[in-house]
Amino acid sequence: MFSGSKIEATISDKLRSINYLLLFLICTIFFIGILALYSISNGNFSEWPLRHLQRFIMGLIIFFIMVLLDLKIIFRFAYLIFIASIVTLMILPLVGDEINGAKRWISFAGFSLQPSEFVKYTLILALAKYFHSMEDYHDNFISKLIIPGFIIIIPVAFVVIQPDLGTALVIFLGGVSVLWISGLNYKYFISGILGFILSLPILWQYLKGYQKERVFTFFNPERDPLGNGYHITQSKIALGSGGVSGKGYMEGTQSHLNFLPEMQTDFIFTMFGEEFGFIGSIVLILLYMAITGISIRMALISKSLFSKFLSLGICSVFFIYVFVNIGMVTGILPVVGVPLPFISYGGSSMLAVMFGFGLLTNCYINYNTTLTKSSFI
Amino acid sequence: MIESNKFIFKKYDIEASINRRTAIITIAKAGLFTILASRLAYLQIVDKDKYKILSDNNRITHRLLEPQRGIIFDLHGKPLAINRERYEVVIIREETSDYIKSIENLKNILPEVYIDTEKLYSEIKKTKKFIPIKVLDDLSWDQFSVLNANIHKVDGLYPQIGFKRYYTSGPSHSHIIGYTAPLDKKEKDSNTLADLSSAKSGKIGIEKSKDSNLRGKLGSKNIEVNVNGREIRELDRYESTSGENIHITIDSELQDYCYKSLNDQSGCVAVTNVKTGEFYALVSSPSYDPNLFSKSISISKWNSLTDNMYKPLINKSISSQYPPGSTIKPFVALAALENGVSEKREVYCNGKHEIKDTSLESGIKTFHCWKEEGHGKVNMNEALKVSCDVYFYQISREIGIDKIAEVCKRFGFGQNVFDTFFEEKKGIVPSKNWKLESIGTPWMVGETLSAGIGQGYFLTTSAQLSIALGQLINGGEKINPTIFLNRNKDTQKKKKILLNQKHLAIIKRGLEDATNTLGGTSYRSRISGNLKMAGKTGTSQVRVISSKEREEGLKKNNELPWDKRDHGLFIGYGPINNPRYAVSVIIEHGGSGSGAAAPVASKIFKYLFDNKLNLKSKRISNV
Repeated sequence: MFSGSKIEATISDKLRSINYLLLFLICTIFFIGILALYSISNGNFSEWPLRHLQRFIMGLIIFFIMVLLDLKIIFRFAYLIFIASIVTLMILPLVGDEINGAKRWISFAGFSLQPSEFVKYTLILALAKYFHSMEDYHDNFISKLIIPGFIIIIPVAFVVIQPDLGTALVIFLGGVSVLWISGLNYKYFISGILGFILSLPILWQYLKGYQKERVFTFFNPERDPLGNGYHITQSKIALGSGGVSGKGYMEGTQSHLNFLPEMQTDFIFTMFGEEFGFIGSIVLILLYMAITGISIRMALISKSLFSKFLSLGICSVFFIYVFVNIGMVTGILPVVGVPLPFISYGGSSMLAVMFGFGLLTNCYINYNTTLTKSSFI
Repeated sequence: MIESNKFIFKKYDIEASINRRTAIITIAKAGLFTILASRLAYLQIVDKDKYKILSDNNRITHRLLEPQRGIIFDLHGKPLAINRERYEVVIIREETSDYIKSIENLKNILPEVYIDTEKLYSEIKKTKKFIPIKVLDDLSWDQFSVLNANIHKVDGLYPQIGFKRYYTSGPSHSHIIGYTAPLDKKEKDSNTLADLSSAKSGKIGIEKSKDSNLRGKLGSKNIEVNVNGREIRELDRYESTSGENIHITIDSELQDYCYKSLNDQSGCVAVTNVKTGEFYALVSSPSYDPNLFSKSISISKWNSLTDNMYKPLINKSISSQYPPGSTIKPFVALAALENGVSEKREVYCNGKHEIKDTSLESGIKTFHCWKEEGHGKVNMNEALKVSCDVYFYQISREIGIDKIAEVCKRFGFGQNVFDTFFEEKKGIVPSKNWKLESIGTPWMVGETLSAGIGQGYFLTTSAQLSIALGQLINGGEKINPTIFLNRNKDTQKKKKILLNQKHLAIIKRGLEDATNTLGGTSYRSRISGNLKMAGKTGTSQVRVISSKEREEGLKKNNELPWDKRDHGLFIGYGPINNPRYAVSVIIEHGGSGSGAAAPVASKIFKYLFDNKLNLKSKRISNV
């Protein structure tokens, strides 16, 4: 039995309630992505920009589907969606396409999808439903730590073994952000951080050779400027040489002469920063900040706990994406392959982030909807 | 309801908690965004100049431009050493991610060329990653075009057009011109072209001695490259400076003629202008194809050159030392004249000259004349004409070795003729001091006798003989031997090294008679006509003839193995009334001077008289 608004909102009502400022900002950033990809393709629209546009349109469709779906149905199937996404992760080693020694992609009906991108959001869905339905808010240990912690560890573990440490980290931090919002006692966070620091020497043993190299390289990129440090060194050179006003659109030498690695995906911020300079970078960061801020405001007006947790979790995942990506290309974080939302060329991340913002908008337009507790599926 | 109340209470509680926690996390996010912005400000504002330079270093590559090596011209302006285009391929390791793959692809593109991959890979590993290493040299134009069309398949490989040295005049000029080859290890630190993969340096001859003039200066260009090092556009260019052209005094036609005159015998020829000291020919035989070295030479070819008993790689005209034999006699005669021996002084030659030698059982050491039965009574003129050894034993013994040595040194024996060739040998003029210093034992009288006929310790070179004769015959004017054309002839007054012109007249008469009167040693090689030559033969032994052997009867030269036969020498000048040329000919193990060397010299003089003398004015206008 569901309780909630007595009159079911019509589709047009729903569409009218969408936060169009958010959608406008998303489109603006997407447009910047098209500009960047057009520059990388040396003015060839039919290559990357066109595919990017197609994906964005598909993303918008997913966005609107998620907006128009009944929130109650989303709530009801939250666990199921989560479990389905975990199952895809589980079968990846059997059916996944191996690229660069990692099985991250699954081909389906001509599409190649990266399930781990979606797990970031489905985990938030599951956690939101869990906390919404939680019985005892005073039980910090079992209810707020052990059970949700278990829910988080499952997808993280599967992504780690792919291996894809970067995505695993984003999933983990996204999940932890929900734990934080749930009011889990500070002492667990403090002891978690301390425990992490203390266990570093042990974790170190389990890191693979190339992962250790990446850590070394992070602390000293000049140590091996043509090997592991190459990416980050070239990225810093590109950004720095862009200066205040940039080298000019389509004039970036680092990018157009191919010194920059992974330009169309993980390092796209760098190529934008090289061509548009500090002014361009700051404008882009401000756009991301605006989206983050607006999303948080949208999240807080929701009445149901599910909506709140879901929206705030999605905000955090989005923020983590942006921060880790820009932090990585500017050399303040180690290089872990994390795309920049709406700009990086990549289908899965585009569809996933639109899926996330669809959920967020759904919560926003249904802020009045209340949901009952549901202990299980 | 109780449960519901509890729920509402809890709910209120959790709402506040969520808001508080969200506020904290929002502040944290704002803080982290600020960190990103600060980081970007640091990179793009504070450090922008540093990164601008690094970015330019990335995109701008410095490429060296090979200079053209200077051209070597002969006396008449004929180019002897020139440069031709050479198509080559180099690899730069840092500009390919997988050089082995690039080389494999190259092999597929040009299946017909051979690449010693093992050697190449080890060189690639050893060399700094930004230094180009030669992969293929001397491709044909067709191969070069095919490669250029497929260049996208071979990262890190660059087709280049360079230059290769080409020698126009064949083996007759090989020794004196020399050749170039890739730098050796020692040169890589000092040579100004060392950074160039195709850098070569002269290894011998003029190519070596004038290497620093010929090599020119590197140019360079800055080009914008992509990450694979492919040139996108040229930013600027500093042209290389070609090496200096060098004009030498060698007359290419004469050089060829002399070489042909030797007719593949092992030997050498030097032709000098007696007034200027210019060498018109410096020939060594047998020879080799100088263009062998513009490609890398195969081991079997190299071995066949180095193992050859006739030593084709050696420039015999300056690097091989021979006992002068009787060709020293004009200088011994001069020493005698200067030391009070009269030209009229007569010596009786009975075929041998004996001196006391207590080390021998008989107590007597016998020195033989080349003519067993002896020449009878001879004076200086006759002694020069018939090359009587006994006469020279006698007068040498009278004046002593040091007087002979002094005269010989004054005319250039025992010293380098040129100061430019590291491969030149300076010969030996024996003297009492010399022996004490270099052998450590005192001089013995018998050694004076050997020296008096140009045997024993005496050693000289073909170039030395011609210059010594030249500066005697020109009236005793010291001349500066040279092989490089000097357009501003030095007008300085020449130093006289002859004490008395009468002495010269006596010696000249002796040499003229030796060639042009019946019974002279080189009479058979005389040139009839207005223009005549004169000269002295020499036959120098390369082994000691024991008395036992002498008793059993001397073996004829042609019965001996080649390398035991006597060297045949001849020094001559002409035309006799106004000497212009001095020529020395040495035929290694040729048997005798009169039989082997004098006929060659005669041919050369005849050629000079017929073809060169009247062209004097033409030559001046040409140079």
